[in-house]
Amino acid sequence: MNAFMVKSKKWLPEQKSFGRSLLFCLMLFAALPSPRSLEAAITPDGQPGWFVDMGLFAASAHGTFSCEQCHGDMKQGQTMHPDSENPTFLKAYANREYDYRRCQSCHRPSYEQYLEGAHAKALLKEQTDSAVGSNTLPESKKAPTCGSCHSGHYARAHLSRVEIGREMVSVCGKCHPAQTATYLDNYHGKAAVNLGDKNAAFCTDCHGAHHSVSLKDKKTALAACQRCHPDATEGFTQVVIHPTIKDLPENDTQKRAHVALIRVVTVLMSILVILVVGFFYGHSFVWLLRELHEKLRKHK
Amino acid sequence: MTTQEKQPPETFVRFSPLQRLLHVAVMIGFTGLAITGFSLKFSDQWWAGGFAWLVGGAGHLAYLHRFFAVITYGCVLVHILWLFYFKLVLKGSITGPQSLFPKVQDIKDMFQHMGYFFGKRRIPRFNRFTYWEKFDYLALFLGMNTMGLTGLFLWFPEFFSTLLPGYFINLAQVLHLYEAILAVALKFVVHILTTHLRPEIFPVDKSIFNGKTTREKMMHEHPGELDSL
Repeated sequence: MNAFMVKSKKWLPEQKSFGRSLLFCLMLFAALPSPRSLEAAITPDGQPGWFVDMGLFAASAHGTFSCEQCHGDMKQGQTMHPDSENPTFLKAYANREYDYRRCQSCHRPSYEQYLEGAHAKALLKEQTDSAVGSNTLPESKKAPTCGSCHSGHYARAHLSRVEIGREMVSVCGKCHPAQTATYLDNYHGKAAVNLGDKNAAFCTDCHGAHHSVSLKDKKTALAACQRCHPDATEGFTQVVIHPTIKDLPENDTQKRAHVALIRVVTVLMSILVILVVGFFYGHSFVWLLRELHEKLRKHK
Repeated sequence: MTTQEKQPPETFVRFSPLQRLLHVAVMIGFTGLAITGFSLKFSDQWWAGGFAWLVGGAGHLAYLHRFFAVITYGCVLVHILWLFYFKLVLKGSITGPQSLFPKVQDIKDMFQHMGYFFGKRRIPRFNRFTYWEKFDYLALFLGMNTMGLTGLFLWFPEFFSTLLPGYFINLAQVLHLYEAILAVALKFVVHILTTHLRPEIFPVDKSIFNGKTTREKMMHEHPGELDSL
């Protein structure tokens, strides 16, 4: 009580210098470079263009290749240089123009897995649709081929599992943003992406790298879970990893109900927290003011 | 005041050694849980990522969180055992006026106390435990049990998903997070404020650490209890 007044005078000058050093520390922290963001991990090929940054290319996994190894020899007459007189010259998406069948000469297993997977099925559907003439999908919604996920010119080799994983999360997120957001809110995403835990699951650890399966089938999902959770049973596959109804089929009423329930509980809990914390913060604050008032009045 | 100080002040025992020990253990356990838990929740922030890096990554963070959880819930179990001992062997009352059992009188006390905040009414004549102490205790007691249960769901999801539908793990996660926010927001602000920052007791109310309280403090803070002795 009285001691408070005396003491406070004693440490006042000290407190001033303490405050200054605290401010200095805060400014230091503010000046530190902000930690890596997902955006920074996106490959330079995020915007497909027709021009190649040769510096980045030389540092990439394919950096020692000559252009012809992938793009073929112009002299053979099989590949044509794009017509510079054509009004669409350099306007089309470079990724769409390349024939990715050429990748299989070196990456055969990946290529075959891709052909078995969901992305290839989507591509097939898209091609049959466009043959009918109903393909009006925007570029960002089109089925992915090799180049949509991998940068032929800039993808680096010898990355660690976590580095590849972080890049993967942002690459997958370009077409599946709701899934990336929910993954990052899940334990897997926090441990793997945020904390760099190489034992935690990235996208492809559950969905398969080139198979890209949706895991709606319980047996496939269980096999995926059991790769890390050997004791998992079928009930375990019903734990919601992506609590979002985005891209969910209309007839999947069960998962829709589960996601809705999770949201309702979240909202109710938020309301409870706000009410209880709000009440006790107000209660304590007014109480503090009253006691200060009494203290100061006694000192008059 | 000077004449009073010459005589040794009359002291009363407010907390038993076991209660004091449990308080310190819970303090350590709760703080550890809060730091390790929020380091995962906010792991996209530099400070949380930095702390996780300091303890050696996500695996160690999880291990530490469970270590502190075992300490904290161990305290709850010891406390429950003590409650039985107190009731059955010591023949104490766990629902009487001097207990932590919530009563209608506590609601009345709260409104009267709030009237005092605005200078309308006098401070109520509190018993051994005031309404905010009862709330502190009961919120922590109930909270630790629900946090413990939801925490077990998240610790052993493979087991619990065989007993209950899978989305219960998600619900456990939501409850665990929001209760953690509630607990930290109350304990680290309201509890610190009522036991440290109030001018009446600034800088610290030591009775939870040395177990003692004086007649003067009893008259002031718990007159109802003093009357009953």
